[in-house]
Amino acid sequence: MAKVQQFLLTCLLAGALVLLAGPPPPQRSTKLGPSSSLRPVGKIEPTRPSDFKEFITESCAGSGQRHSKDRIYPAQDVDSAGGVPDSPWYENRHGTRRMSVDALVRGPGDGPPSSTSPWRVVAIKSEGVTPGFQIKDSADRRYMVKLDPPDHPELATSAEAIATRLFHAFGYHVPGSYIVTFRRQDLIPDAKSDSPIGDQDIDRLLSEQRHDDSGRYRAVANRFIEGELVGPFYFSGVRPDDPNDLIPHEHRRSLRGLYVMSAWLNNTDTKSGNTLDAVVTEDGIRYVKHYLIDFGASLGSASYESKSPRQGHEYKMDLKPALLQLFTAGVYVPKWARAKYSRLRSVGAFEAKSFQPDKWKPSYPNPAFENRLPEDTAWAARKIAAFRDDDIRAIVGTGRYSDPEASEWIVKTLIVRRDKIVRAYLAGSKPNTESAARVTGRTR
Amino acid sequence: MRYRFAAYALFLVFAGRAEDAHPPTTAAQRLIRPPQIEFDEALAISTALQWWSDRSTFKTIRYGGFRVKPGGMVAGSGFALGGEFFRDDLAGGQVLIRASGRSSFTGYQLYDAEFALPRLLGEHVFVDLLGTYRNFPRMSYFGPGPDSSKNSRTSYRLEDVAYELTVGVNPFSRLRLGASGGFLQVNVGPGQHSRFLSTEEAFGPVTTPGVDRQSDFITTRGFVDFDYRDSTSGPRSGGYYSATFSNYEDRSLRTGSHRRLDLRAQQYIPFFSKQRVIALRGYTALTEARAGHRIPFYLQPTLGGPDTMRGFHPFRFHDENLLLMNAEYRWKISSGVEMAAFVDSGKVFATRQSLDTRDLMHSYGVGMRFNSRESNFLRVDVGCGNEGCRVWLRFNNFF
Repeated sequence: MAKVQQFLLTCLLAGALVLLAGPPPPQRSTKLGPSSSLRPVGKIEPTRPSDFKEFITESCAGSGQRHSKDRIYPAQDVDSAGGVPDSPWYENRHGTRRMSVDALVRGPGDGPPSSTSPWRVVAIKSEGVTPGFQIKDSADRRYMVKLDPPDHPELATSAEAIATRLFHAFGYHVPGSYIVTFRRQDLIPDAKSDSPIGDQDIDRLLSEQRHDDSGRYRAVANRFIEGELVGPFYFSGVRPDDPNDLIPHEHRRSLRGLYVMSAWLNNTDTKSGNTLDAVVTEDGIRYVKHYLIDFGASLGSASYESKSPRQGHEYKMDLKPALLQLFTAGVYVPKWARAKYSRLRSVGAFEAKSFQPDKWKPSYPNPAFENRLPEDTAWAARKIAAFRDDDIRAIVGTGRYSDPEASEWIVKTLIVRRDKIVRAYLAGSKPNTESAARVTGRTR
Repeated sequence: MRYRFAAYALFLVFAGRAEDAHPPTTAAQRLIRPPQIEFDEALAISTALQWWSDRSTFKTIRYGGFRVKPGGMVAGSGFALGGEFFRDDLAGGQVLIRASGRSSFTGYQLYDAEFALPRLLGEHVFVDLLGTYRNFPRMSYFGPGPDSSKNSRTSYRLEDVAYELTVGVNPFSRLRLGASGGFLQVNVGPGQHSRFLSTEEAFGPVTTPGVDRQSDFITTRGFVDFDYRDSTSGPRSGGYYSATFSNYEDRSLRTGSHRRLDLRAQQYIPFFSKQRVIALRGYTALTEARAGHRIPFYLQPTLGGPDTMRGFHPFRFHDENLLLMNAEYRWKISSGVEMAAFVDSGKVFATRQSLDTRDLMHSYGVGMRFNSRESNFLRVDVGCGNEGCRVWLRFNNFF
C-alpha cells in the first residue's frame, strides 16, 4: 500500500512539474504516409518547446509511438533501396556520392563573415550557455559568433566547426560554421539594431574572454539560417500545420539514424532546442526545411566546459547505474571511468576505448533514437563508413587546433569510433542484435 | 521508477540554490580563480537553474545590479534571505562595488558593503575595503573547554561591526599574500533563545572572559595562500594551503589582546577520471594572549557543526586552541549527484602544548551532494558522534 501511495505521489509531483514547465506542445497528429512531392505551406505557427519540459517528459514517460511486443514500426521515409530520399529533412551527400575533400572541408553555407570592414554587433546572445553575439558583415550577412569557455580554449569552437561539416556531409541540413578571429576594434555596435547595443555591452562580454598576445579573440561564426524561422521541431509527432510533414518524426530513418551519427561524434545534446525549422522558398515552392543546429556539445565539449566522461554513457537521470554506484559505494567502476582521456583542455573527454556504439546515450532519451531498428542503424553506419581516414583528417583540420596533438587525438578517436560503428552495425550476420532485442523484447 | 526521479527533480527545483553560508568573502578572495575543473557534469535541473540564474543575474546587473541574496549566515541561523547590489563591471572590471543586507527567520541580521580594486597592476595587486555589521541573537555557548556538557547550552547575542582594509599581491597565479588592518567593535547581549538560559546567567567572566564586558579591537593580519584546486566551490583535484597570522589589540578594556595563527591544509586526491575523490583537510587555530590578558570567548576558536564536526552541535566547543581533521571519500553516483563517507576528528584545548592527536573527538557519517557546473550547491550530511546523530541541510560546499 505504501508503494502505491509513493507511486501516486511521485506521479502527482511529476505531473505538477510538467504543468509548471509551461503549456503543452501543440497536439501532434499521427498522419502516416510517405512525403513524396512537396506541397506549398501556408502560415506556420512557431513552436516554442521547453528544454526543461522535454527533459522531464522524455526522462519520465517518453513521447511518440514506440515499438511494442506486438507491433514494430519500420521507418517510413525510406525508398525501395532502403535509403532515405532527398527531402526537407535530408539530402543524400557523401554516403551516396563521394564528396571531394575540398567540398567536405568547405561544408555548408556561403563562407565566413567578410573581414573587409568591422562587424556590426546587432545583439548579445542570450540563449544557450556559451557567450556570444550576433553580427552582420559588410555584405549584410548575419552570423552568430560564439566563444570558447575561457578555461578551455578551442574546445567548443573546434567541436562545432568539425561536427557541422560531418553532419552536413552525412546529409543533414545545417548552417555554415567557421572558425574566425577578431580584435575588439573589429566590432562596432549596430546603430539600426532593434535592441540598442553599446560599446560597454561588447566590452562587458569580452572582458572575461581569453585573447592572444595581439588582442585577437577566437570564435566560431555560425551563419544565420535564411528564411522565416518557425522554431524547433520535435523528435516525435509531426508539425500539424506543415502539409509535407506526414511521417511521425520518431518513424523517420533520417532521425533514427541520427543516433549513430550522434554516437560517433558524441553529440549528446540532441534535443529539440538544437533544431530549427525555417520556411524557405526554393524552385517556387514555399516549404518548411528542417535544420540541426548547435554542435558545441560534440566530441569532448559540453559547450561551456569539458564533457564529463559519464556523458555518452549514462542519461542525466539514469536510475540503474546510479543505484549501482550508490549501493556499491563506488567500488564498481564503469569502463568509461577507467578510460584514458586527453589532458588537453581543447580536447576534453572524448575517447574511443570505452565507446560501445549501441550503448551510447544522449543526455536524455530521444524518441526517434529509442525507435531505431537494425535497418536504421545499418543505413547510418553505411553513411559513416564512407568517411575515409583522409576525409576525417581534412575535416578535423577545419577545427584549427593550435596544438597538433589535439588534432591528432580527435582524428584517431573518430577513426576508431567509426570502425567500431561499422563492426557493430555492418559486420557479420548479426549486426545489431542488441537494439533489436531492446525494442522487441527478444533476440532476432 | 522514473517517477521517483521526477519527484526528486521537483524537490531540487523548489530547494533552489543559496550562497555559501560561510562568512562573506572579499572580492579579492572571489577573484582568485584557479583553473577550472576538467571533468565536471551537471544534473539537468541544476544546469537549468544555473542557466536561469546566470541569465537573471545578467539582466539584473544590466538593470542596476540588484539581486536576491539568500543564505550567507552562520550555522544555526535558519534560512536567510536578503538583497544585494553588486557591480563588478565598473571601469572595465577594475572596480567592484557590493552591498548586501540579509535577515533570517530567527532574527539573525547581516549587512555588509565592499569596495575593491581587484585587478591592479595587471591583476597582480588587489585592494579591498570591507565593512560588516552582524547581529546574531541566538548564538550557542556550552562553556569553556573540551569537557563542557552538552546540557549546559546557553545562548547569547553577538553584535559586531568590523572594518577591514586588505592589500595583497598575486606574484604567481596560485600564490597570494597580503596584509590587512581593521577595527572591530563587539557587543554581547542576552540570548534570545527561549529554551536556554542566557549565557551571562550561567557563566561568569572567570570561566568565560568577555561575557560581562566587551571591547573594541584593532586587528592586523598577514596571510599567504597557495591554491591549486581545480575549483573553489567543488574541488576534485589539487590542494589549498594557507597560513594567517592575526593580532587583536584591545583598545578599550585592554584585557583581551591576543595573537592567533590559523593554519589550513586541504588536499584532493582524484582517481577514476575524478569520479572518486579522497578529500583531506587539516586545520589548526593557535592563540596566545598577552601577559595579563585573556581571550574573550566570542573570539575563541570553536568546534562543532555542519562545517567542522558534523556529529556535534554548532559552536559546541570553545577554547583557546583548536585542531580539526576531516577525511571524506566521495563518489559520484550520477550526473550532478555525489555521495560521501566521512570521518571528522578534532579537539579544542587550552594550551598549545596539547597540540597532538590525543583525546580527539570523532564523528562519522555519510552525505549526499548536489552540484552544478563546478559547484556544490546543496549537501545533506548525517553525522554521528558520541553526543548523537545530526542531519544537516546546507547550501554550500563542505571543503
